Amino acid sequence: MTQEYWRWTESSWTSKDIDWKKAKTITAGVDIGTNSTQAAIMCDNLLFGYANLRTGPDYRESAGAAMRQALGKSAMTLKDIRYTVGTGWGSRNVPFAQKTVDEINCHARGARFMYGPAVKTVVDLGAQTCKAIRLYAWDRIRDFMINDKCAVGMGRGIEVMADLMQVPIQEMGERSLTVGRDPEPVSTTCYAFANTEAIGLFREGYQESEVLAAYLFAIAWRIHGMVGRVQPEKELAFTGGLAKNTGITKRLEREMGMTALTSEYDPQLAGAIGAALIAQKMVEKA
Amino acid sequence: MITAGIDVGIESLKAVILKDGKVLARGTGLSGGANRAKAVEQVWSDALAAAGLSPSDVSRVIATGQGKHDVRFADDRVVEPVADARAARFLYPGVTAVVDIGADQVRLVTLGKGDSIMEVVMNQKCAAGLGIFLKSMARTLGMTLEEISRLPDNSPGDAAVNDGCSVFAEMDALGLLNRNTPREEVARAIIEAIVVRINSILNEKIRPAEAATVLVGGVSRNTAVVNALKRRSGINFVIPEQAEYAGALGAALIAAG
Repeated sequence: MTQEYWRWTESSWTSKDIDWKKAKTITAGVDIGTNSTQAAIMCDNLLFGYANLRTGPDYRESAGAAMRQALGKSAMTLKDIRYTVGTGWGSRNVPFAQKTVDEINCHARGARFMYGPAVKTVVDLGAQTCKAIRLYAWDRIRDFMINDKCAVGMGRGIEVMADLMQVPIQEMGERSLTVGRDPEPVSTTCYAFANTEAIGLFREGYQESEVLAAYLFAIAWRIHGMVGRVQPEKELAFTGGLAKNTGITKRLEREMGMTALTSEYDPQLAGAIGAALIAQKMVEKA
Repeated sequence: MITAGIDVGIESLKAVILKDGKVLARGTGLSGGANRAKAVEQVWSDALAAAGLSPSDVSRVIATGQGKHDVRFADDRVVEPVADARAARFLYPGVTAVVDIGADQVRLVTLGKGDSIMEVVMNQKCAAGLGIFLKSMARTLGMTLEEISRLPDNSPGDAAVNDGCSVFAEMDALGLLNRNTPREEVARAIIEAIVVRINSILNEKIRPAEAATVLVGGVSRNTAVVNALKRRSGINFVIPEQAEYAGALGAALIAAG
């Protein structure tokens, strides 16, 4: 079987310690993205379970699968969950959700939970789009930007690149950081052009790490241009799948002159966790 | 006389070992990025082993493809249109045009008298509608390329995706999935967009009424795409066995003189 360089690791976890029957409010969030789907279950202020898996062609099935995996081997079932919020690209396809909420608000809420209340700038690094969210000191969105049409698909482009270069996707970032100095970035207009251009660099004598550097620098550069427009301020947090690509995040930090906060939580869960927390608010309001 | 041709594309490399016009063995593998020379060595030794030969048995090796310089031991190199033309003429004497649809390049070569080439037309920079895009879309749909290949050629329903840009087409396809369009229907829409794109490059430079047009390259193995392309272009392509080895075959034939 040929190695699948593009395949990133799916994950799920369910708490064995939290006594969910004693929780006041149990809520859930499901974030269906173009490439990945997450589910998060909150018992009051504690994360009870989560799942992060590849979005399949049937979005409703992906939502169900994520939820099942987040529930894990616990005795909790969907019936025990008081309120579910759906979010993300495929938010309309969470059949068991009581409400859908936009991913801007969900990522902002999730980021504050994962990285702390001091977060003022959230950059969601997704498969198709990147979003920059600027928050007030309190829980309100001040501004947000999303990349324009031609710049979509960077996460997808990275998967294609992993295959073309035969570098495991989870190693691309670290390998790109072994260069002494970043080479010139490749074209930043379109990921398809960027891929072709990057492969062409081998013919010019570039090493693998240099090609990765040129490629990921281009992505970081493009994102930086967009983030600048929301007037970013500390503290900074990265969310989304590409937040795991240090080749992008380190370069983005460098260009922004800001270090992002770290978290024990998987950055891909921000949308789902935020959705579950917003679900709590819906329960409190009712 | 034993000769060989090695065609190094952006995605895959192909090797053909030839003796007196007969293929002794073929080999293929992924081109990769950094270790191309090593990938070439591996495919080369696999092909030699399959033919029961050692390197010294091969009189001449010619390389082609965008990675032709990654074949360090090649005796010579030829450009892809020349290799395609030679293979097409060998397989179908009297052919007037050959279309090669690969991972990121599509090439139309119209043939003149004797060994001459009249014209070469290629896609400009944008690789929409080609192998890499098809593979990426298959993954989005959770289908294998074989499953897509087996789809019947019905005219697509209402579902459609952008036929000018693969990045936009992908977003359109994701939009269709979000509206719960069955994946087979989305696949049909993608196939239609692919053939519209390829057909726009062919751009009526091929006169179907005249002699055969050969179709080669990796994408020509996808029956669904080929049937749709035949329908849309009105050209009844002939597709040889092992069509993706055409470039390597042509190079091996050129090596034989």
